Amino acid sequence: MNRLYTSLEPRVIDDGMLKLAVGEQRPQEEAGKLAKQEGILFKDVLSLQLDFRNILRIDNLWQFENLKKLQLNNNIIEKIEGLENLTHLVWLDLSFNNIETIEGLDTLVNLEDLSLFNNCISNIDSLDALIKLQVLSLGNNQIDNMMNIIYLRRFRCLRTLSLSGNPISEVEDYKMFICAYLPDLVYLDFRRIDDHTASVSLSVSQQAPRFLGKGKEVAEAKHHYSIEELKHRENLMQAQMEEEQARREELEKHKTAFVEHLNGSFLFDSMYAEDSEGNKLSSLPGVSELLEAYRDKFVIICVNIFEYGLKHQEKRKTELDTFSECVHEAIQENQEQGKRKIAKFEEKHLMSLSAIREEVEMPNIEKMILECSTDISELFDALMTLEMQLVEQLEETINMFERNIVHLVGLFIKNVQSLMAQCRDLENHHHEKLLEISISTLEKAVKGNLDKDLSEDVRALFVDKNTIVNAVGASHDIHLLKIDNREDELVTRINSWCTRLVDKIRRDEIMRNRKRVKEISLYIDHMKSELDNLEYSDILD
Amino acid sequence: MEVLREKVEEEEEAEREEAAERAEWARTEKMMRPVEVRKEETTLTQEMLRDLEKKLSEIRIPVSVEVPAFTKDTIDISMLPVSYKTNTPKEEQLLQLADNFSRQYSHLCPDRVPLFLHPLNECEVPKFVSTTLRPTLMPYPELYNWDSCAQFVSDFLTMVPLPDPLKPPLHLYSSSTVLKYQKGNCFDFSTLLCSMLIGSGYDAYCVNGYGSQDLCHMDLTREVCPLTVKPKETIKREEKVLPKKYTIRPPRDLCSRFEQEQEMKRQQEIRAREEKRLKEEEERLMEAEKANPDALHGLRVHSWVLVLSGKREVPENFFIDPFTARSYSTQDEHFLGIESLWNHKNYWINMQDCWNCCKDLIFDLGDPVRWEYMLLGTDKPELFLTEDDSGINNEDDVENLDKEDEDKSFDMPHSWVEQIEISPEAFETRCPNGKKVIQYKRAKLEKWAPYLNHNGLVSRLTTYEDLECTNILEIKEWYRNREDMLELRHINKTTALKTDYFKPGHPRALRVHSYKSMQPEMDRVIEFYETARVDGLIKREETPRTMTEYYRGRSDFLSYRHVDFGPRVKKLTLSSAESNPRPVVKITERFFRNPAKPAEEDVAERVFLVAEERIQLRYHCREDHITASKREFLRRSEVDSEGNKIIVTPDMCITFEVEPMEHTKKLLYQYETLMHLKKEEKLSRRQVWESELEVLEILKLLKEEEEVHTLTISIYDTKRNEKSKEYREAMERMMHEEHLRQVETQLDYLAPFLVQLPPGEKLTRWQAVRLKDECLSDFKQRLINKANLIQARFEKETQELQKKQQWYQENQVTLTPEDEDLYLSYCSQAMFRIRILEQRLNRHKELAPLKYLALEEKLHKDPRLGELLKMFT
Repeated sequence: MNRLYTSLEPRVIDDGMLKLAVGEQRPQEEAGKLAKQEGILFKDVLSLQLDFRNILRIDNLWQFENLKKLQLNNNIIEKIEGLENLTHLVWLDLSFNNIETIEGLDTLVNLEDLSLFNNCISNIDSLDALIKLQVLSLGNNQIDNMMNIIYLRRFRCLRTLSLSGNPISEVEDYKMFICAYLPDLVYLDFRRIDDHTASVSLSVSQQAPRFLGKGKEVAEAKHHYSIEELKHRENLMQAQMEEEQARREELEKHKTAFVEHLNGSFLFDSMYAEDSEGNKLSSLPGVSELLEAYRDKFVIICVNIFEYGLKHQEKRKTELDTFSECVHEAIQENQEQGKRKIAKFEEKHLMSLSAIREEVEMPNIEKMILECSTDISELFDALMTLEMQLVEQLEETINMFERNIVHLVGLFIKNVQSLMAQCRDLENHHHEKLLEISISTLEKAVKGNLDKDLSEDVRALFVDKNTIVNAVGASHDIHLLKIDNREDELVTRINSWCTRLVDKIRRDEIMRNRKRVKEISLYIDHMKSELDNLEYSDILD
Repeated sequence: MEVLREKVEEEEEAEREEAAERAEWARTEKMMRPVEVRKEETTLTQEMLRDLEKKLSEIRIPVSVEVPAFTKDTIDISMLPVSYKTNTPKEEQLLQLADNFSRQYSHLCPDRVPLFLHPLNECEVPKFVSTTLRPTLMPYPELYNWDSCAQFVSDFLTMVPLPDPLKPPLHLYSSSTVLKYQKGNCFDFSTLLCSMLIGSGYDAYCVNGYGSQDLCHMDLTREVCPLTVKPKETIKREEKVLPKKYTIRPPRDLCSRFEQEQEMKRQQEIRAREEKRLKEEEERLMEAEKANPDALHGLRVHSWVLVLSGKREVPENFFIDPFTARSYSTQDEHFLGIESLWNHKNYWINMQDCWNCCKDLIFDLGDPVRWEYMLLGTDKPELFLTEDDSGINNEDDVENLDKEDEDKSFDMPHSWVEQIEISPEAFETRCPNGKKVIQYKRAKLEKWAPYLNHNGLVSRLTTYEDLECTNILEIKEWYRNREDMLELRHINKTTALKTDYFKPGHPRALRVHSYKSMQPEMDRVIEFYETARVDGLIKREETPRTMTEYYRGRSDFLSYRHVDFGPRVKKLTLSSAESNPRPVVKITERFFRNPAKPAEEDVAERVFLVAEERIQLRYHCREDHITASKREFLRRSEVDSEGNKIIVTPDMCITFEVEPMEHTKKLLYQYETLMHLKKEEKLSRRQVWESELEVLEILKLLKEEEEVHTLTISIYDTKRNEKSKEYREAMERMMHEEHLRQVETQLDYLAPFLVQLPPGEKLTRWQAVRLKDECLSDFKQRLINKANLIQARFEKETQELQKKQQWYQENQVTLTPEDEDLYLSYCSQAMFRIRILEQRLNRHKELAPLKYLALEEKLHKDPRLGELLKMFT
């Protein structure tokens, strides 16, 4: 902004420019020669300097996956873009550019040092993702609103901040304000905040009410109150979030037990939620009492199911824990054995290798090499046997676990189903009662001495027997459907969980086996090739 | 008790019979005891006797060391207080009671030995035993617990055997006398110990009973030294982990069971044979060790201390033998019977049968059937409620008799013994002369008081191979107060290995040093207090060709370094270990896992093969892997065939990677790693060299310390600490001077003049004025006199000098050079004196008027004269 556009043309970062920069910044001397010979891959570059190049647009940086430090200062960049892939970036310098808004930094979660010195930024925002931010340089910008400081409160690691050269820094109590609002800050505008200032601002902010009416302190007192308010709000938010979190966790726990929303009248309420007839009928005399009793009983059964579900969840968990613990132990034990075998082999192998090197007689060498190779294949056999043994053992254990867990799940389903059946019985019972009342009411209606206070749409039901029976039946059907749905949901979910669990265990085991076999063969191959190399070089000698 | 009684009688009878015979050959063979006599109760024929004599002469008896006599003659009773020499009326009454009690007792139990109730004290006054106990709490915190108390008593006193081993002594001296002479018999020991224990709150009793020979003679040669007993390794009970539900089945065992069984059988046979052999050996040894049977078994009188449970959290009753300070259970077979016991309040007689040693005794002193008490009304410990009324009422008449005679409220008079005092010096010196030797089975323990030996040695335990104590197995020496913190030196004579243990605080943080010789580059192991060292070194092991170091808690995670040295290259000029280090052949370093790095980049072991110019790296193993990455660098050729400098070639690095990675294949990476390793190698070699130097320094330091062996003295030890002593003396001197000065300032000028006036009268004004004038004129005279004196001296000196000068000028020619020198020195001295006198005179002249005025001022202010003078002026 404040720089003149020179005769140079604005440029876009392109491949050529990047190659040139990387080439210039490679290591020096011998290492440099080596680097030149081999060429440098962009993704190995850790730091890149692209300053004073009249860059207008950031582009083509996606290959620098592992870049830690990027300097783009003293260009004419107007928009932060093209940095999405550089997630390992720790250090980003965008000073002396023409940036107006902060944007495009949402993926740079590792960023610790951000410099936006001498740009045209007027508002601090869009930095939420940078939770590790320690140093933020925003001097010589257009920031004029004190509220921007409050935005910075969310960066718990922020220690250094520079804001000089902004309209905001002209404000009288700028320093005090920042110290008061950002108490963890150590350096402001490249100067250490001395303890005195900090304590003054802090003490002022804490004890300000005492100094009321003393000019400067009044402002601090104002800060004090607003800070307290802010803190209070933040604390409230925090508490709310924690509460929310706890509630979510609780629900999650219930969900894993497949009995969520069964610890109350949720199911019952949902039964009546879409049941217009039932609601209408509840206004009949005697029905509300009936409904109340029904509801109570129903809820008791639901709670029973809920508690039973939690108990069973606990059982399944301990079962799973024991299983994984045992499997882990077995694998560890097996690994230890393997390691011991390898260590023993290596000791011997090293000795024989050096012996071969020392040996001069050709036939002897051949004999020894032969010995070595048999040793290697023996090791291979031993390791593979060990692995196969483990596979068999684990197979057996997994089968047993599967049997047990399936049994557990079956038991659970059976019991839940019987409890659900009780629910249905209750519903049937209720239905009969309701029907009775309805019919008696119908009789009354036929006789014409229906209660006066019944609403019109209820009255409409008592036209003839069919209507009322249908209405009651419909309500009953809805209820049963709800119960069935809930039961089905539970059963399907637990079954699918079970299958998925067992599948996962098997898959993991297969993966583990593959990996181990691969590892062993890689190792053996290496050993063999080493021996071959030795042979080869010896023959050459 | 009955049975024991009979036995005692029998034995006594036998004893009497033998007494005559004994007298005959007692002259030739002192201290000989008829061993076999007990078995042959028939009268002995002459032949048998001769036979016996022959047998006996073969028995070797350890020549008892001449025991210092501790009789009345050696005790100075003139300084003792009155309570020692007389009895108070209450004590007289008690003695009468005791006599009465004793009479009734002997009447009722005529077959038992008379009671030990009121022996004579050092002033030949009968004193009741309970009053001889003087409960005292010692001012030393070390003496608060029973074990340290007993240890102190056993260390502090020298044992004197009883005059008659079969009877309680006639005298029982006060503990204060015993402490003063540091000698005593078992009764003295237990009285002192019991006083201390009761004083510190234990429920302790003195016991008069019968002990085994070893016990009575303080003979520990058949006991295993408690210091040599290795603490029993607590056998860790392998917690049998219940096989979990899903524990994998072990692979099928394909071995033949039959073969296993056969193998087992064979093993068992071998073991059985071995065991048998061992058993036989043991039996043989036991045979050898077994003592000759004691003729007076069960008759030897001994006294010890019984501590009952209940107080001071003592969980169960036990005995303490005051000679050895060892505690025994009440079932121990060394204790053969109890006659009576007492504390400072009461006296109990054992009414239980002791046929089975003390194993069946029940120490419920409140039970009158088992324990007959002497005084009623003193606190009766734990009376069993089950047998109260009926039990007591149906009691035999003994009790009733007692009850009638005793004044029910009579309680034990206060002890006649002076307070037991142990001076700090005596407490520190402990053993008589600060030295004590105890002989155990195959071991000898010597103890010294701290600071007695110049090298700080406080105790030495010598362990022998054989029973005769000729072949030394090992020596353990404990030190205290050493400046170099040496605590224990262990010398193994069979392997010649010495091990020194240090307390924390050695300048080099040494903990353990085991070695065979102090020469460098020999086998040695040095352990360190690693928290006191910056480099975290725990242990350094050395052999002539290797050095191994173990580390812990380092920031670079180094845990182990092993160095192989080659033979030293001969150098003609200087060949000390310092200037010509041995060439390093191989350095192996191991590292702990650095959790901050991924496993495949975290080096676990690196080996610098210096001679072969190879570097081997082994990385840590990843958690789910069994193989670890490896890398080997060869740096043989720095120059290729065309003479160009090769930086790095692909075949210089052999790599095995568990999971092949892209970037590590690059030459650049390899080159950087190699460069880094080269630097590290240099550093490691330097550290090895420093380690060697350090060993040399440590050895030098140790040698110096061994020669100097200074002892530290606590600053609170006012007696030994010279510095603090000096300081204290200086302080005292200063105080004294200060005091003198104060006295001087209070010097009364007027005193000599006031004396002339009649005393007690108030001064008149005229008198005051005269007094003042007199005083002033006197002072003036003094000043003048002083001036005159100085003047006179000055003149005398001057005259003498002039004379001398004259003499010199006259004889100048004839003088020898010595005389001349003499004269010159005299001259200079005289000149000096004259000058000084001159100065003094001048100063006096200056100061005299001032002093005069000052005195005048003082007199004006004097309260005696002031008012009168003021009126006058």
